[in-house]
Amino acid sequence: MTTEKSAPSPMDRVWNFFISVKVAIFTLIILAVASIFGTIVEQNQPLEKYHEIYEDWAFALMDRINLFDMYHSWWFLALLVLFTVNLTCCTIDRFPKVLKVVRNPRTKLDEGLEKSVSLSDRWKKKGTVSEWAPRYAEALASAFSKPRVTEGDGEVHLYAETGVASRFGVYVTHLSIIIIFIGAIVGNVAGFKGYVNIPEGESVSSVAVRGGSRMQDLGFTLRCNSFRVDTYPNGQPKAYVSDLSVIEGGREVLRKKDVVVNDPLQYKGIWFYQSSYGDAGGTTARVAARRSDGTPAGSLSLPPNEPFFIEGYGSIRGVNYDRNFQGNGPALQVVVEKPGKPAENFWIVQGRPDLDRQRKDSMVFSFGGLNTKMFTGLQVARDPGVNIVWVGCTLMVIGIIMAFFLSHQRVWLRLAQGPDGRLAVVLAGSANRNRLAFEKKFEKIQTGVKAVAS
Amino acid sequence: MNTLNVQLFDLTTLLFGGASGTYIVAMYGRKEIFARIGTWICVAAAIVSTAALGVRWAESYKMGIGRIPVTNLYESLVFFAWSVNLFYLFVEWKYKSRAFGAFVIPIAFLTMLFAFTNESGIQPLVPALQSYWLHAHVITCFVGYAAFAVSAGVAVMYLLKARQEETKTTEGIIAHLPSSKALDDLVYRAIIWGFPFLTAGIITGAAWANYAWGTYWSWDPKETWSLIVWLVYAAFLHARITRGWHGKRAAILSIVGFLATIMCYLGVNLVLSGLHSYGG
Repeated sequence: MTTEKSAPSPMDRVWNFFISVKVAIFTLIILAVASIFGTIVEQNQPLEKYHEIYEDWAFALMDRINLFDMYHSWWFLALLVLFTVNLTCCTIDRFPKVLKVVRNPRTKLDEGLEKSVSLSDRWKKKGTVSEWAPRYAEALASAFSKPRVTEGDGEVHLYAETGVASRFGVYVTHLSIIIIFIGAIVGNVAGFKGYVNIPEGESVSSVAVRGGSRMQDLGFTLRCNSFRVDTYPNGQPKAYVSDLSVIEGGREVLRKKDVVVNDPLQYKGIWFYQSSYGDAGGTTARVAARRSDGTPAGSLSLPPNEPFFIEGYGSIRGVNYDRNFQGNGPALQVVVEKPGKPAENFWIVQGRPDLDRQRKDSMVFSFGGLNTKMFTGLQVARDPGVNIVWVGCTLMVIGIIMAFFLSHQRVWLRLAQGPDGRLAVVLAGSANRNRLAFEKKFEKIQTGVKAVAS
Repeated sequence: MNTLNVQLFDLTTLLFGGASGTYIVAMYGRKEIFARIGTWICVAAAIVSTAALGVRWAESYKMGIGRIPVTNLYESLVFFAWSVNLFYLFVEWKYKSRAFGAFVIPIAFLTMLFAFTNESGIQPLVPALQSYWLHAHVITCFVGYAAFAVSAGVAVMYLLKARQEETKTTEGIIAHLPSSKALDDLVYRAIIWGFPFLTAGIITGAAWANYAWGTYWSWDPKETWSLIVWLVYAAFLHARITRGWHGKRAAILSIVGFLATIMCYLGVNLVLSGLHSYGG
């Protein structure tokens, strides 16, 4: 890109805008400030809720600028695009220059460079350039790093450097951000996020996609074998546990008995995360029937208000439940109807199997508790971009450490024959990071170089 | 009757109070010996608070709910104070100056006082927090927060010192601070420690969220505020390195960054709603 001296072309102006660090800082601050709004206004709530909170004019304005889903609004995405374009242009503009500097470092300490570096020292010595050059090279190697030697015009220039990688840290970091964005886009385009509720004992082969009415086919069947909540001694929930099976081609191909929060099930790139649970309806009461002589006559599972017929006896149905019946604990109220006799209505109490004997009937009923059918709620996700995101994240940490904790340190040493016939030595150094620390290091290099070559 | 760990934390609070006092006395009275005592109190506080964290961890195991003690507001505050103190001792050792103590240790002291007003019992871990990611996430975030706290404390010192250097007065306590150049450098140095840790904290949080919910970023207020903090310090670093922002502007940006950090750490939970646990 060539720039004319007088008036830059419109193209150049656009380019100069996007390679500006001022624009970068501005974008960072604007992104930060804009992000605050979305944390104050709760996002993605039902519109009625916003109507309740805000005045009509405020609601209209906020709705207009997508403040209720602002992180997906066109203007927030535009800010992210500006951020990315700025980042990319800065890199395209600066990276080749840095690469050039690193590949072809200034190995000769000319006068211009000598003036521009912050640290330098000069001294004179008896002897000649050719006599001292190898000894200074050796001294610099042991005090700092092995130098490159450049000869010309009767002068010898030594150049040594460490921590070149420091120059690339910023580009690794910038690249990592772009990689993360690519991963996010891949995930959004090629993946899906959904949820599904599966009652115990039932199966699904498709799930609802979040934020839409679309169903996503899984390509296999997922069955919930059971669900339970484990609790701590104080009653607080300890774990939500789903027992799940993957069924493919009519066969169980995978079973995970303890899918809990923070331990998902994965099959063919689709992940299932324990997320919620609930009552699936269809509560039944467990009732055991015995004949009066004690021989068992069956375990009954009674849905509410539906009579169960016992051959040669009559019917029984559960009509009411009390968690603590007259202080005796959980109990079930049942109605027994026998052909040609008035209906009997009585309570049976859990944990007291012989209580019903006082009815002096041919059949004794006891209550074994309620069976509540639960459903497990699962978040479902397939995200083919997620590993790209992790690569980006890893690079980001590496890049930041390279950028701030490495320092590109350069040391030059020039040997020239002065007009007085003595050897004129100039030592100079610079560092791109942590200059205070380099000042101390430079002092050591100074003494090291002077001592070895004295 | 409080359990042993809480008693140890109460002792830590007293030690931080004592250290804050001696550092301030050292500055006013210009007696190096007080600053030296301050250092030793801080070392004692570091030992006592580390022991308290260990005891609390062990007590949680005895209760049958063993988990790392960083899972509610009380624990998180004492852990923050612990981190600030350790990071401060590191800075003091590295920079061979005790003058920072008066500006940094009071942050730890106030944090412990705030913790003191909160429920200190050990509660069992809700299912969402039962993950090994918890350790990596909390530790990286808090080292970052502590570094930003130190940076902001030093930034305040810088502003005071720079004003005095401008007016060429050498009266009072400020005269005993390190040079404004050294303070300015330390504001920056603390941030370049904090920034990679905050970055790692956000990343481990994202990895954890992905493992727990199948989504690594959901613009939850806590996530968003951590991003805001990250953006502010990213702006600081760009301004500093490529545009030569030093001195006053850098110091103010560091303080703004720390205010955003406090909002991210406490404000989100106390003011806004979200996925993080220690709000209630």
